[in-house]
This record gives sequence, C-alpha cells and structure tokens, in this order.
Amino acid sequence: MNKPVVVDIQNLTKIYAGRHEAAVKNLDLQICEGEFYGLLGPNGAGKTTTISVISSLLKPSNGNIVIHGYNLNDNLNKIKQLIGVVSQEIALYNKMTAFENLYYFGRLYGIDKGYLKKRIDFLLDRLGLLKYKNDKILSFSGGMKRRINLLAGLLHEPSILILDEPVVGVDVHSRNVIREFLKEVNADNTTIIYTSHIMEDAEKLCSRLSILDYGEIVEQGSPHALITKHSDCSSLEEVFLKLTGQNLRD
Amino acid sequence: MNKLLTSIYKEGILLIRDIEGVVIMFVMPLILVIVVALLQQKAFTGISEDKIPVVIVDFDNDALSSSLIEGIAGSDMFAVTTVQGSDSLMLDNAKRNVADGVFQIGIYIPQNTTNIIKSRAVSMVQQQIPGAIQSNVNDINIQGKIHLFFDPVIKQSFRGIAKSTLMQFASSVETRIIFDAYSKFIDALTNQTSELEFPEKPAIEFSEELVSEFTAGIVPNAVQHNVPAWILFGMFLICIPIAGNIIKERGDGCLARLKTIPVNYLQIMIGKVVVFVGICLIQALLMILVGIFIMPLLGLPQLQVGGNIMALLIVSVASGFAASGFGILIGSMATTHIQASAFGAVSTVIFAAIGGAWIPVIIMPAVMQKISAISPMNWGIHGYYEVFLRSANALEVLPDVSKLMVFATVCITGSLFFRKYGKSL
Ligand SMILES: Nc1ncnc2c1ncn2[C@@H]1O[C@H](COP(=O)(O)OP(=O)(O)OP(=O)(O)O)[C@@H](O)[C@H]1O
Ligand SMILES: [Mg+2]
Repeated sequence: MNKPVVVDIQNLTKIYAGRHEAAVKNLDLQICEGEFYGLLGPNGAGKTTTISVISSLLKPSNGNIVIHGYNLNDNLNKIKQLIGVVSQEIALYNKMTAFENLYYFGRLYGIDKGYLKKRIDFLLDRLGLLKYKNDKILSFSGGMKRRINLLAGLLHEPSILILDEPVVGVDVHSRNVIREFLKEVNADNTTIIYTSHIMEDAEKLCSRLSILDYGEIVEQGSPHALITKHSDCSSLEEVFLKLTGQNLRD
Repeated sequence: MNKLLTSIYKEGILLIRDIEGVVIMFVMPLILVIVVALLQQKAFTGISEDKIPVVIVDFDNDALSSSLIEGIAGSDMFAVTTVQGSDSLMLDNAKRNVADGVFQIGIYIPQNTTNIIKSRAVSMVQQQIPGAIQSNVNDINIQGKIHLFFDPVIKQSFRGIAKSTLMQFASSVETRIIFDAYSKFIDALTNQTSELEFPEKPAIEFSEELVSEFTAGIVPNAVQHNVPAWILFGMFLICIPIAGNIIKERGDGCLARLKTIPVNYLQIMIGKVVVFVGICLIQALLMILVGIFIMPLLGLPQLQVGGNIMALLIVSVASGFAASGFGILIGSMATTHIQASAFGAVSTVIFAAIGGAWIPVIIMPAVMQKISAISPMNWGIHGYYEVFLRSANALEVLPDVSKLMVFATVCITGSLFFRKYGKSL
C-alpha cells in the first residue's frame, strides 16, 4: 500500500456521558487515499460513534484524529471542507424543495452560485431526480430522500466521503443506483468510508474493511483476504457471523 | 456575509412555507389587542381624557343653569348636551336616554332654581340690615333642588365625584348671586354704581401632578397602553415558533449536518434572528395600524404614535431582538416541542404579568413596580410609552433599548454555550 494515509485514527476511545462501557475502545485505523473502506459490525458495535468522531460531530474521550495531515482539534474548518458527511438520518428540510435544500447547503460550503446550480442539476440527473428538483422533500419517497441526503454531502466535491448506512430502507433499484453512483465517485479518487449491514454490498464495494464488535476491531483486510483467511467461510457474511457470534446485540 | 444571506434565504423560505403558523402568530395578538382595549376602556376612562356624556335638562333657564352648563361644558371631564324648555316629556326622554346608556349622567334643573337662590340672597341681606332692600320674600332657609340621575354602570365613587363637582359649580353660582345682592345693596346705600367685579377665578387654585417612579406625568389611555403591551406580548409569543424551528432542525439531523459544514454557527443564528426580527417588525406595524385605523371605528381613542418614527423603529427592532433571542435560548435548552411551548408560553405570560402588559405598571403596587423592572417586556412597553406619549427621540429611548439588546445578547450567547457544552447532538 503506497497511497498516502488520508484518515489516521489513533487510539480513539469514546465513552458517552453516563455510560461505563466505552462505545469505541482504543481504536487504531488508517485509511488511504482512494480507498473504499467499510466499517462493519452488529448493532451497537460503535460504527456511528467512530464516524461521528471523524466528522467532528462528537468529541473523542481519548485519542487523536488526523485527516490529510491536519489534526482534527486544530484545523476543524479546513477538515470540514475536505470531508463530506452523510448521516444515517435524513438531514433535510422537509418543507424546502430538493433544489432549495441542496442550494442552501452548497452555499454554506461557499460554492459559487452559478457553478452550484449546474452541479445540483448534474447530481440530481445522475441519481434520476432532476424532474423532482422543485418538489418538496415532504413529497419524496424514502429512497428519493436517501439519494438527496447523499447528494447534500457531495456538493463541495469532498476528498473524503463519510457515509453512515447510505442504503438503509431503500428498495433494490434505489440501492443499485446508489451503489453504482458511489463506485463512480470512488473512481474519481474520492476516498469513501462507509458503514453497512449489507454484507453483499460490502463484499462488492469495499477495497478494505474492518469488522467491529463491542467498540473494537476484530478483523480487518480486503473482503477477499478475509474470506481466504477464514477458509471455512465462503462469503463475507459467514466470516462476519463467525467473528461476531450468533447472539443478538440489542 | 454570503453565508449569512444564505441562512436568511433558508429561514425566509421555511417561514413562508409555514404560512398558517405565521398568520396565527399575527392574528392572535391583533385580536387580543382589540378585545383587551375594549374591555379596559372603562377602567382607563378614570385616568384618561375620555369625556363622560352628560345631558342637562334646563327648565330654569337663568343664571344658575347657564353658568352650570358653561362650567360643566368647560371642564374636560364631560361632554354636555342641553335640553331647554318646560315640557315634562323632555325630562322623561332624558331619563330614558340615561337608562339606555346614551348619557351616563342626567342633570335636571327645575324652573325658578335661580330665583330661589336670589330670594335667599336677598333674605340674607334683609336679615342683616332690615329694610335695606324692598322685598316681600323673607325666607333664609328656602332651598332649591337639582336632580341627578345616573346610568347604573357608573361606579359609586364616580357618582360622588360628579355630585361634588356639581355642588361646587352650584355654590360658586350662589356665592356670586349673594355677592351681587350685597353689591346692589351697597350701590343703593352709596347711591352710585360700584366698580366691584366678581373675580373670574377662584382664590385657591389646585395644581395636580401624577407622581410615581414611572415616567413622570404620562398616563396612557386604553389604546396607548394596549398597543405596546400586545406588541410585546405578540413578539415574545414568537419565541415558541422560533424554539420549535431550532428543535426541529436538531431533531431532523439538519443541525448535525450544519455542524459538519465549515460555517460559523453564529451566522446561522443571526440568519434566524434577522428573519424573526423582521416578523416582529411586521407584527408591530400591524398592531400600530390597528391602533390608528381600526380602534377609532370601535369607539376607542385613536393611537397617537408620537412624532419620532426613528425612535419607534429602534424600540421595535430592539424588542424584536430580545424576543427572538429569548426564543433561540429556549430552543437550545428545551429537548422537545412540548417543553419549548410550555416553557415559552408560561414565561411569556410571566414576563407579561410582571412587565405590565395587562395591568399597567403605573397602577401597580410599589413593590410590583420594582419587580416589573426586571421584565424585558416592561422595557419594551416603556420604550413604546416614551415614544407614543412623549415623542421621545432615539437618544431618550436608549436606556430601554440597551437593556433589550443586552438581554438579546445574553440569550444568544447562552444558546451558543448550550450548543457547545450542552447535550451532544
Ligand atoms: N448518544 C449516546 N449516548 C449514550 N450512549 C450512546 C449514544 N449513542 C450511542 N451510544 C451507545 O454506544 C454504543 C455504540 O453505538 P453506535 O451508534 O456507535 O453503534 P452502531 O455500530 O452505529 O450501531 P447501529 O448498527 O445500530 O447503527 C451503543 O452501545 C450505543 O448504545
Ligand atoms: Mg449506527
């Protein structure tokens, strides 16, 4: 691996206020430029927590995050410009149209008006939403909202795109469109970090991944390497079940 | 600057899309201001310049009745209608009008009332200096009678005031007639016409002044009090939708998204404040227009806005800032809409109660007047009083305006603090 490390998570621990157990324990993780990196794990494993710390939504209890050589504590605005965050929730204004939402967020990123309008049209078209440009989010289906939610994190062409379960609750068609789109974005040299519960997707998309359980990495490597390593397993899903056990987590 | 404009753009869209909410925000205080001004008009009548309609049935048609009418009409308390003649139907008619509330007081001066006073004066002179005047009357205790009838809604205390006012007029007429009788006698005695003139003005004059720690000498009427009171109330009520806006933004995850964008949160807050201050200004304008154009149609006095539009604007903007800041603080502190509405409504009501929105500070007990000084609503209402009643200029409203602005700043700073150190998103 000779590509530069763009996300360097050093000894990250997060203990939520009022909790005894750490949600993430002494996590060390390096992600290189251009990777499509998966964070997998059962419910409550600490995926969202990890992603929230990288996106500066949560303060770590301990540890250090360095992105593109900038320390998260000291260069917050610089880092915010470099990363795009797509949360698990649909973070959009329901009473505003798709265009108004994207325009608003885009302008806050400081994108030039004329260019922003073109980019919004381009992105909407790419995800099959151009004809709904002037419809309120309110009137959108779950899959459509997901896609707009995704676009809102991509307007400023971030170098690193962080996605928390980008395909949760969408139908097979939408999922496919999103997956293809993410591949394209990744091919454009955007580093992607994403969480998912869909092993099949992860196996197809990720260049590398980590399996988290109880806030710790239990295994990491490329999907192919993991399946090879656990020779008794024929798919990523089997590896996952083997490593995280069969018990329910919540 | 661009980011600020962007956030104004967004808040503006959200506000317009929630037009029903906006209408309710505007209409409720407008209804309140009219209803309460009408309700309170009677209460304020005692301390305002509103005239009381009086009908005088004058069958005397002589010195007493004419000077009574002149005196009553000249005082700024009464609006006088006079009926002259001798037909008893006129009297019945006047009584009915009072019963119907057309007039609040009726005064009936029977025939010969002046003559009775004159005879009595003559009798007095005769008793002191017998044979001084040729006259056949000689009853010093002869008494006339003026009848008063009142609309039953008139308070006991007010009846007393009306009666003593009339007594005062009657006795000054009596004094004058006695004076005339004596001066006629002296003229007869000295056999020349005296230059003695009864003085126009009484020997003792009263000066009055309303003293309180409140702005000296200004007393609002129902309209001048209620318009500012409900402007402030309406503005502070806006804290509920503002808080709702912030809580919704947080709940939707939009606030979290904003946290991942390189934008200063203060710019987003200011965007909200600007839009909501705009709403507050529109609301103040609507209320003022109601005071000027609608209130007179309902028989209320017209709102006098004073002469200084600049000062009016400054007070309105500062009040809007205080109310918006307060809403933002509630939105940052409360975790649910229910919490925010309950807290917002209750605190608005408390601010209104102690700030003198319902009961003007001027008629509050001294202790409450002190307490009311801590309510931002009081600062705003006081600022409007200054402008409406004294045509205060921008400099003169500065004390109220700076208190409001400090309050707004404290609220917004508090909300930033909450965002930073409060619950995690
Ligand atoms: N705000 C919070 N306060 C307290 N505990 C929290 C909070 N958010 C998450 N946790 C706890 O931290 C742990 C990790 O949660 P996290 O949301 O990171 O898991 P996850 O891997 O994203 O799960 P899922 O797949 O269900 O989204 C869980 O035990 C969760 O209960
Ligand atoms: Mg999660």
